[in-house]
Amino acid sequence: MSVLLEIKNLKKHFPIHGGLFNRVVSQLKAVDDVSFVLEKGKTMGLVGESGCGKSTLGRAVLRLHEPTDGTVILDGTDITKLEPKALVDARRDMQIIFQDPYASLSPRRTIQQTLLEPLETHKIGTAESRQQKIEELLDIVGLRKHVLHRYPHEFSGGQRQRIGIARALTLEPKFIVADEAVSALDVSVQSQVLNLISNLQKTLGISFLFISHDLAVVQHISDDVGVMYLGRLVEKATATSLYTEPRHPYTKALLSAIPTPDPTIKNQRQILKGDVPSPLNPPSGCTFRTRCPEAMDICAVKAPVQVEVGSKDEPHWVACHLFELPK
Amino acid sequence: MSIKKPLLSVRDLVVEFNTERGLVRAIDGISFDVMHGETMGLVGESGCGKSVTALSILGLIPSPPGKITAGSIQLNGRELVGLRESEYRKIRGSEISMIFQEPMTALNPVFTIANQMTDVLSRHQKIRGKQAKNRAIEMLELVGIPSPDKRINEYPHQLSGGMRQRVMIAMALSCNPKLLLADEPTTALDVTIQAQVMEQIVKLQHELGTAVVLVTHDLGVVAESCQRAVVMYAGRIVEQSPIIPLFKNPQHPYSAGLMASIPRIRADKIAELPTIPGTVPDLLHLPDGCRFADRCQYSDDRCHQEQPNNHIKDNREVACFHPCGEVS
Repeated sequence: MSVLLEIKNLKKHFPIHGGLFNRVVSQLKAVDDVSFVLEKGKTMGLVGESGCGKSTLGRAVLRLHEPTDGTVILDGTDITKLEPKALVDARRDMQIIFQDPYASLSPRRTIQQTLLEPLETHKIGTAESRQQKIEELLDIVGLRKHVLHRYPHEFSGGQRQRIGIARALTLEPKFIVADEAVSALDVSVQSQVLNLISNLQKTLGISFLFISHDLAVVQHISDDVGVMYLGRLVEKATATSLYTEPRHPYTKALLSAIPTPDPTIKNQRQILKGDVPSPLNPPSGCTFRTRCPEAMDICAVKAPVQVEVGSKDEPHWVACHLFELPK
Repeated sequence: MSIKKPLLSVRDLVVEFNTERGLVRAIDGISFDVMHGETMGLVGESGCGKSVTALSILGLIPSPPGKITAGSIQLNGRELVGLRESEYRKIRGSEISMIFQEPMTALNPVFTIANQMTDVLSRHQKIRGKQAKNRAIEMLELVGIPSPDKRINEYPHQLSGGMRQRVMIAMALSCNPKLLLADEPTTALDVTIQAQVMEQIVKLQHELGTAVVLVTHDLGVVAESCQRAVVMYAGRIVEQSPIIPLFKNPQHPYSAGLMASIPRIRADKIAELPTIPGTVPDLLHLPDGCRFADRCQYSDDRCHQEQPNNHIKDNREVACFHPCGEVS
């Protein structure tokens, strides 16, 4: 398998202004030193709680947020170094599906206008071929042709999300960021949309960065899964390895916090204490130590480094002092 | 059910809303009971009428456009439908309390926690000043807020989402209500915080003996904390049952579809998630027969023409002609 996307030491810091002259008083490290590789046609899931930086990461990869530092290499091109005009062209290969299907479609445009816009912007095809293209797309996402002249308010949440997916597909991208794409949907509709996304991935060979707070959803759709906490990736593995053998105490806690839809199983919950600390003032050393049930002295002093714990077939790394060998 | 009298008894309740597009019947003849001290789940997808049910129990249906047009709601034998607003005010907060989904908007941003909590206490329990504040601090301690004596003087924006929801719970329970309505209490929270808050609700419910109606779309939460559940679809109750048989052997095809489509952590990945085809019907254009018939794999001509009535068997009620796919 060849590499499609390579992210190296990506950082996104937001300056915080304050004080007498509105100077920059500190930096909010929304994404701090994140690196990973995504192969062609694979899906990487990204999980974490609100405020952990997973959406910022998704946007920084597409340069919807300008990254502070680091590189994003998509199919051999360094996205972070592109001039504005070249960036527009590069965006043909990378698209995004947003969380809220109610807010991400313009209420004043018909579905036809919304779907044609990317093709017109990039001057692809003739008027006729464009029309044909968007009709095909509707078919792919499971909507009928007559919806083209309707407005977003006439659709249900699930249908709107299908339109959002169709829009992301118009330019035949190689890579799509799906930012909480199914979180706003009801379970019965959610599974329909999830099946659609995983079919698209198989038939069109698109790579997805699938961002979600729902570990069960991520397991179903992903080949690899990364877990984020306070701007950092704390564990990354193949989906199989992460769910059968989670190593990081945070991943374990996340998995055990999911309510089991089976009343006969009363699982021994491991409930984390306290809240996520403010990213403005993160704890020293390992940022998870304030809530970690296994925190040691060293955790406050030194930030943990990535330790490989998996095998060749099932790569798996974790950033936790529990797995660092004493020297 | 047993001979024990229910705490809350809802019978043939109908709630209608007058909208620009026509009269919408959000709830169409639902009946259920809540026993003393039990936790009952009210489950369904958006628009099925679960929140409207909770609001109508509290007399909070905005009117106009909404109106309870038929049926009765009895709390300990006392009729609540048609009660005067001044009478209702005495019940809200003291006998029935509610926790809302959005802890950000349910608290008043310009008053401190102390202000808002003592307000409830002075209205219903006639305790004021220092005494009320001490009682409020006790309640905050009970719901697991660290250093409650300091936190009580803070404003809602100074608290995190999980903390705000705890304040809401403390406030809702401060007058020892007999019934607590919790409308999606953990939906806005992260999983780790959700686990903390649910644990707290279950613990307090055991300690104080409050009956809880948990309105949620999350079947996982229901499985872990309820004894019984009512499943709603498009304004009607399709199934009500004790929790274990409901999950083990759902009778209504909708409940079964809902159970199957919950994304859950699986030992082996499956190629395709089970789904329920189609979407919820528009409440303005409801089908004549069973409301689920269009999406149901077992439906036949009769399902499209007649509305199924409730069958009662072993403490379970199902409104379906072919429960569990049975051919009658």
